[in-house]
Amino acid sequence: MLRYRVKSSIVAGAALVLFLPAIFCQTANPSKAAAVPDLTGVWMIDQFHPALFPKGTMPPFTPWGEAQFKKADTLVNDPNLACLPHGIPRMMFVPLPMQIFQVPDMVLIYEEAGNQIRQIHMNRGHRTDLDPTYNGDSVGKWDGQTLVVDTVGFNDVTWLDHVGLPHTDALHVVERIHRADHNTLVDDFKIEDPKAYTTPWTASQTYHLKPGWEIAEYVCDNNKYVYHEK
Amino acid sequence: MFPYTVMILKNSSLPGGIAVKIKRSIILFALAAGVILLPGAAFAHHSTAEYDMTTVSPIKGTVTKFEWSNPHAYIYIEAKDDKGNTVEWTGELASLGMLARVNWKRDTVKPGDAITMYGNRAKDGRTVMRLEKIAFANGQELSAQVR
Repeated sequence: MLRYRVKSSIVAGAALVLFLPAIFCQTANPSKAAAVPDLTGVWMIDQFHPALFPKGTMPPFTPWGEAQFKKADTLVNDPNLACLPHGIPRMMFVPLPMQIFQVPDMVLIYEEAGNQIRQIHMNRGHRTDLDPTYNGDSVGKWDGQTLVVDTVGFNDVTWLDHVGLPHTDALHVVERIHRADHNTLVDDFKIEDPKAYTTPWTASQTYHLKPGWEIAEYVCDNNKYVYHEK
Repeated sequence: MFPYTVMILKNSSLPGGIAVKIKRSIILFALAAGVILLPGAAFAHHSTAEYDMTTVSPIKGTVTKFEWSNPHAYIYIEAKDDKGNTVEWTGELASLGMLARVNWKRDTVKPGDAITMYGNRAKDGRTVMRLEKIAFANGQELSAQVR
């Protein structure tokens, strides 16, 4: 009788030891255990990159692209003056937080900058009747742990970065967004616009999780700049 | 402002050598230009390119206005130049969400408060700075930047 009790205790104990790691993995790494990766949370850039091509480097401009870039003046014709939307990818590089929500059929990115919401549609491809907009039409799908976002349908108003990289309505942005670890998100961009750049080029932004941060209201009610259309 | 400036330039009997006189007149011209241009100046910046990010300068003065607003909050102070003339300085701050994260509120400074602004001055000589921090009259400091 006693021997039976001891044996069953040993079996129970062994089972507990074997299953403990799985139990802890479930709670500590929900993104690994869940069917759909979890990118939710409030995220803030780790470092501000006002220029996607810092001094000494240049993207592969077409002649038109280079001429446009020379006209860019952050004091005069930055479309973000007068609080116009940043567009994509610039919205993803601003030194302000964003909150990612995942709801059925959509990933939403709520940006503190201008309180803009990016809608990433997970249940359809691009519409064929797109009216050009500041933020384009974003569709997404999962590739393993990575959210792949494809965006087209842009107007030509925005800048690609804070110092004036131009684009046209032919802009096509592909993003690969993944959680490098629980506290780190990475967005790798591929920028394609054959009217402005001879070949596609890439950029990247890393974000840190900000537990406890909430997205603040951002109403642009004291803009002091006059935006002169380029 | 200008007649006074011309008087300084013409008065060669002021103390100091020619180098000091030139430096003094340049400073006076810059201050005069700043006061005259300030009311209508466009305070644009969407990168830090307009500011000298290598130096943090202190400017001491009395708050005349605090605009608690987006895209930037602004502190306006009345300061004195080295001649005792009143100069208006503008301190440009981050947006409200970021300021709240470093404990700023809409009444953190009020007209009449004596403060020192610490910031990066505009490269073009305008009396505008991008604020790093402020110090209150009692010496207590408050950072304006989220780190």
